[in-house]
Amino acid sequence: MKPINFIALVLFICGVVWVLTLSEGTVRNIQHAYYGTISPFVRGGSSLETTARDFLREIEHSEDLENQLRAIQGEYIKLRSIEGRLRELETENNELRRALNFQEKQRLNVVAARVIKRQPATWWETAIIDKGQDDSIGAGVPVIAPGGLAGKVDVASEDTCSMILLTDERCQVSVQVVGTPEVGILHGMRGRYGEEPRLILRHLSREAAILPGMKVITTGKGGLFPSNLLVGTVKEYTPGPVEGVALVKPSVNFDELGVVFVIAHKNGEEEG
Amino acid sequence: MGWYHLSLVLLLITASVLQQFSPLFEPLYEGRVLIVPLAFLCAAVTVNTGPMLLLAFIGGFLWDAQHVITPLPESLSGNPEVYTDTTGDLKFGYSIILYALMGFFMQGLQPLFREGKWHISAVLSGVAIFLYLSAEYLLISFVRGDPMITRSLVLKIGFTSLLTMMLCPVMFWTLYRLAGLFHHTISYEGLKIDRRGLPE
Repeated sequence: MKPINFIALVLFICGVVWVLTLSEGTVRNIQHAYYGTISPFVRGGSSLETTARDFLREIEHSEDLENQLRAIQGEYIKLRSIEGRLRELETENNELRRALNFQEKQRLNVVAARVIKRQPATWWETAIIDKGQDDSIGAGVPVIAPGGLAGKVDVASEDTCSMILLTDERCQVSVQVVGTPEVGILHGMRGRYGEEPRLILRHLSREAAILPGMKVITTGKGGLFPSNLLVGTVKEYTPGPVEGVALVKPSVNFDELGVVFVIAHKNGEEEG
Repeated sequence: MGWYHLSLVLLLITASVLQQFSPLFEPLYEGRVLIVPLAFLCAAVTVNTGPMLLLAFIGGFLWDAQHVITPLPESLSGNPEVYTDTTGDLKFGYSIILYALMGFFMQGLQPLFREGKWHISAVLSGVAIFLYLSAEYLLISFVRGDPMITRSLVLKIGFTSLLTMMLCPVMFWTLYRLAGLFHHTISYEGLKIDRRGLPE
């Protein structure tokens, strides 16, 4: 080996050791600065990708869209009549709640955000949204989407955030199977690409009475996520020698993740 | 270290920006073009060990700054009595090592490249991407436990490597342009005419 190459290798090893021993706080600061710098390009890339995708969809599905519009118009008329009935039921429900002296649950303070980049990484299930610290969003706050829980914020820069999706293994949620006393920890599943995502629910009883189709909701325990947020439905339950494991289908359609709601502040969060 | 090497550093930074515009091909098992690793691999074959290691450091650093999920502070990680599972993950900086290994792999092919067989380097950069992604996935599986090797996983790695490899000629063309601009000699001897007037 030439001396110059040897020196280069030594310097490189020193550099690698320095990077590998950086504290988590320093790494988060580096990532914060990186996201702050890169966010204009992410937005640019997102708008380009959206335009291209919309254009392709319009070409492919223009006939489908017309049929869908007709079907939706029919549904709309039907739903208007149902809405009238629901209003009556809502009034009745409110009266009953008051009668039972129900303590009204405090609402969550949410910030609507648009997903501007889906899965920028190869293996990590993440997304970038167009709201950040300027909107009082910080690391670790939960993110919900139409359907239920979508994930949590990982790194927040001034005007964008990187969020870990529920489908990633690193996003762990304390959940309960509705209709049973079963609680466990749910997280994403690795190795499923181009397929319908699945979540794994662990730490269940060995022979729990869990059936496919049962709903899974957050418990609110652990202080990370509010309670009673829908997470998914059980697809399969496998009893084991030590603990039962269930496969859960997420309630959020992650392929169509467009708008999400970040829980900026939790007002009087209830514990389990 | 000259202007050409500096331009390669700028090329890597530009590749990081361009990576933001790289779409996800959902029908191809979520494959995508990995522009930063591609820029590094192609550049690595045109330089010596020292500059290659510098590029590996910068490329890996930028890659991890975007991709690695750093554990949240304890105050934001939830109650440890509830969240007892501490799923490990790759540490910030691991990509620098993987980039360097890929760089050495590509440098092993320099004799072919110097003979002007850049297309072999292009194919092998696809192989290097395949190895890189496989190593990355195996490392994640090792750290997190529970290795899950599925058909869709292999197809994802395969399509990502293939898509990335297809951009190789563009990257080599860019490198030759940069070399021309900064009067850097990439030993491209394939078309060099020898004394007898025949290609070597």
